[in-house]
Amino acid sequence: MSGTAERHVVADADEIDNGERIVTQIKGREITVFRYDGDYYAYLNWCAHQGGPCGEGTLTGTSIASYDRETGEVDSYWGREGEILNCPWHGWEYDLTTGDCLSRTGVTLPSYPVEIEDGEIVVTL
Amino acid sequence: MASTAEKTTPFADTTVVDTDVHLSIPFDELAEYCDEPYRSITKYPTYTPVHRGGWNRYMGGKIETEKQNVQTADALYEKICVEFGIDYPLINAFPVLNSVPEDDRAVELMYAYNDYLLDNFLDEYDQFLGLCTVATQEPETAAEEIDRMATEKSIEGLYLLNSGAQPPLGDPVYDVIYQAAEENGLHVAYHASAGAPFAKDFPVQDTQFNRFLENHMLAHPWAHMMTMSSLIVNGTPAKFPDLNFSFLEAGVSWVPYMMFRFNKEYSMRRSEAPLLEKSPEEYIRDQFYISTQPIGEPNDPNHLQQIIDVMGTDSLMLSTDYPHWDFDHPDALDQQVRQFGDEEARERILSGTAIEAFELSI
Ligand code: FES
Repeated sequence: MSGTAERHVVADADEIDNGERIVTQIKGREITVFRYDGDYYAYLNWCAHQGGPCGEGTLTGTSIASYDRETGEVDSYWGREGEILNCPWHGWEYDLTTGDCLSRTGVTLPSYPVEIEDGEIVVTL
Repeated sequence: MASTAEKTTPFADTTVVDTDVHLSIPFDELAEYCDEPYRSITKYPTYTPVHRGGWNRYMGGKIETEKQNVQTADALYEKICVEFGIDYPLINAFPVLNSVPEDDRAVELMYAYNDYLLDNFLDEYDQFLGLCTVATQEPETAAEEIDRMATEKSIEGLYLLNSGAQPPLGDPVYDVIYQAAEENGLHVAYHASAGAPFAKDFPVQDTQFNRFLENHMLAHPWAHMMTMSSLIVNGTPAKFPDLNFSFLEAGVSWVPYMMFRFNKEYSMRRSEAPLLEKSPEEYIRDQFYISTQPIGEPNDPNHLQQIIDVMGTDSLMLSTDYPHWDFDHPDALDQQVRQFGDEEARERILSGTAIEAFELSI
């Protein structure tokens, strides 16, 4: 660990529209701050797969499916539009709201606390 | 041109050869290297001049389409040599000639790809090395092209698309190609491909699968297994003992299976492969080389190391497959090797094995 956590103002809150993001450098780390559905999220822009810039990937939905053992039916649909972050290199999918990787149990993007203070986005790191 | 990139990557003190770097050539530029009527066909294709099936490769925009950012020598140098830290990329033109339905057009495109590669890339940087495109449809013509290209200093081997090559590539009709390779001291690299070339060999599977994931899972290992079976049973490595062969873009894990099953089957049916003078495993270990991408991702990294140990670093050569969507960043493999291997093993995989396999004078 390098020193104690500090507060960093990264932008004015209204600089990021809903569904948008900014990429910023804090303490030598590249961090992507997203705004989605009224909340803000800050993740390391470094994919757990091979280090791709996952924070710069598209935000889309994804295919979701379940199997009903009683009826033998598969229920499959496209959902969570705008909540899935896709790494542009090889397509690893991350849940924007948690940072969890959808295909690998236990893999989560490092995240940082974000708060809005006096109309500014503050990341603590 | 600059001879060594300023390196800031983990490879600063190590020589690195990348055995599978592709071009993505705009077809209107390639057309300029063709004579008529091929020029117009390449320029104004019905669909695309070299079609690759209609699959959803880029997941509806979830990932970048084939990276268009390396279409010049300078851009490729910047990405591969500077950013990735590769000293010597072995570049192929990515010719998907087995999905060209007319044999004469495939031959014309072979010349075009080779001249394009030389003019626009290999002549630009000293450390750019290249593979000669071979259209396998007309083996005699291919042999003449190999003789022509072998005079180019930067050409270190041949690039044969094995998916969709018919008959399979150990068939004696191709011996003229292997003879030309051996006489000219050129390595033979096989590269597989999903989509249309896969559909040529496995039409039922291609039409019956419903997702590209199924197709892409099998396209590369199936093509390589087919080629390896054909080469060994026909005795190609025994006929051409000075030739080295490599298999690109299926990772490494399929190879132990082939070696061990081949030993077993060969002992039961030796009379069907009478040219062999030693076990299939020995031919594979002695003359066949394997490029690492796409390196497997077992849940327990120890298991990948066990496969690398079975193969031995004398057979393994780093590859990235850049700029394709499933490329491996070179650091991914390097981290694995650093974690488990010694510096000598690392040196073999990053460059030593490729230098030996391609007899690179670098
Ligand atoms: S580096 Fe992100 S998916 Fe591979």
